[in-house]
Amino acid sequence: MDKTNNIIKLIHSLVPHDKKIRIMNVCGSHEHTIAFSGMRSLMPENLEIIPGPGCPVCVCPESDIINAINLSKIDDVILVTYGDMLRVPTQKGSIRAEGKNFRMITSPFEALNIAKSNPGKKIVFFSIGFETTTAPTAGILEMGVPDNLFILSSHRLTPTIMEILIKDAEIGIDGFIAPGHVSAIVGSNAWNVFSEKYGIPTVVAGFEADNLLLGIVEILRQLKSGKAQTGNVYKGVVKPEGNTQAQKLMEKYLEVANVNWRGIGYIPGSGLELRDKYSSRDARKVFELKEVKEAKIPGCICGTIILGKAYPSACKLFKKVCTPKTPKGPCMVSFEGACNIWYKTG
Amino acid sequence: MKKIEIGHGSGGRLTRDLIQKLFLKYLGSEELKPLEDAAYINLRHHHAAMTTDSYVVRPLFFPGGNIGKLAVCGTVNDLAVSGAVPRYLSVGFILEEGFPIEHLEEILKGIAESAKQSGVHIVTGDTKVVEKDKCDGMYINTTGIGEIVKPLPLDNVSVGDMVLITGTIGDHGTAIALVRDEFTITANLASDCAPLNDLLQPLFEIDGLKWMRDPTRGGVATVLAEVSDVTGLGVEIFEENVPVREDVRFISDMLGYDPLYLANEGKAIIIASHESANKILTILKKHPLGQNASVIGHVTSKFKGVRLRTKIGGERLLDMLEEDMLPRIC
Repeated sequence: MDKTNNIIKLIHSLVPHDKKIRIMNVCGSHEHTIAFSGMRSLMPENLEIIPGPGCPVCVCPESDIINAINLSKIDDVILVTYGDMLRVPTQKGSIRAEGKNFRMITSPFEALNIAKSNPGKKIVFFSIGFETTTAPTAGILEMGVPDNLFILSSHRLTPTIMEILIKDAEIGIDGFIAPGHVSAIVGSNAWNVFSEKYGIPTVVAGFEADNLLLGIVEILRQLKSGKAQTGNVYKGVVKPEGNTQAQKLMEKYLEVANVNWRGIGYIPGSGLELRDKYSSRDARKVFELKEVKEAKIPGCICGTIILGKAYPSACKLFKKVCTPKTPKGPCMVSFEGACNIWYKTG
Repeated sequence: MKKIEIGHGSGGRLTRDLIQKLFLKYLGSEELKPLEDAAYINLRHHHAAMTTDSYVVRPLFFPGGNIGKLAVCGTVNDLAVSGAVPRYLSVGFILEEGFPIEHLEEILKGIAESAKQSGVHIVTGDTKVVEKDKCDGMYINTTGIGEIVKPLPLDNVSVGDMVLITGTIGDHGTAIALVRDEFTITANLASDCAPLNDLLQPLFEIDGLKWMRDPTRGGVATVLAEVSDVTGLGVEIFEENVPVREDVRFISDMLGYDPLYLANEGKAIIIASHESANKILTILKKHPLGQNASVIGHVTSKFKGVRLRTKIGGERLLDMLEEDMLPRIC
């Protein structure tokens, strides 16, 4: 507690009185710690901590979810995906409400096991997420997947979206808290571009409140000195080069693609799809999936919230008709979604 | 007799069979045995407390208990936290056609054991059967009557009072969440479902005891939000004093639940004067069900609502949630 108090005092001394500082976190688990620890109540008035695009479920395009629902209705198909994905609303309902043959998994290895124990079925693994979940999907491909397992890849790249956010003057980001888990895969060096090209301090932090506070101190110090660089206060887990083995596997099986982010739109080079060489495993190609036009959810501002342009409390659906039990938009579904976290923390 | 049939709820021969062979076997108190339309009961005091509750928990069996045990403990606890000694219980069953008799028998054992443990007599009951798929196995209603020893109205609560909890929070909610089919996590975790009257009765003699409540649905946060709502006072809770099992903390983090909002079935929140709080804590800690008891906060006039002082000294509002995080928890 004394240590925490000292860090907080330091933060207060580093924030200028005449200027607003906006620091963005881009990880649902970071936002969880920040909200549940009441961290914002301890920050100086001029320091804003903004939740950014830290929720992979939230940005997964509606089209992919509708395709997943349709796949689950094919007799010999079993759709498998992560729990949160089952409840994400679309114009055609959610997988849980409208799907037929689907199962929840907690890791890609379960998808592999389901495929092996159901040789007469086609298993479609709806694989979503940032680099943290991409790596194990590449891992099962390397292990060798049976002929009846297909991947519907809806993976997204964190550095790409962060670069988009920097360029958006409306958001006005002064510093990034880089995501701990993603950094463990891509390495802290992956963020160098932000300090070198844009002069934005970017600091990798872990998930304990104290560690996040230290990350904020590091950003503020850099801002004060005027010298931006990549920082890392989560060194025990995150190496500068990251997990090179995982990077190699991702590179081997997946290639960068222009993909849609729900509520945001197409962003060049921001997603990962299976390389042509592995098209026999690619559910998009095997099942000839077509893109479904995204429908706007009336009143929902998830897209704006993900980009850090509004807080969940600014949405007129928030807590009124949109709750974790009856989510109208994706950000209320996932435990990593800003709206879901803010709903629970007041 | 292997399965419940529609006739078991008809009031005729099959009903009589069920009562004679099963219900009386497990629940046969002196008051119940005559099987008249109403039971005759004796109360030593003129002042009685009465409460009723229906139980629809899913699944019916969970680590640490079953719907029967829950139905007795829940109603016993409602009486105990009201300053009453629980004495008599009614049990009403709504059974689904086809319900396995062996499951019913297990549930009856749960009822009998908890009734014995808490010293209540089951004096009257009812059985209805509905067609298959018209209910989820079984529902139970219990009504309890207790003798008031110490009335504990919420008006008693005033600024400066201390807030205590009798043990770790969120155990029941987490145990139920884990056995619900959608999760694939396994843990050695059980519901805290237990009758609290033996733990709480000694406190009735303490002058400073002001108010008690068992934080079931909605958890500790919801109960305290109600206290604030009714009294117009604020409650400040200190996160580091709130006892949460390591595994409950871990699992609820993973599943996105907050233990402060998770149901408990064997815990009580106690509000007591500042002077008596330590004495109460000492008494609680001597009982097996109160070993992790803790003073978690206090009542204040500085604000309204419930505020959590987090481990890092931050502040978080504990609002009443519009809906249960986990439905059909009891």
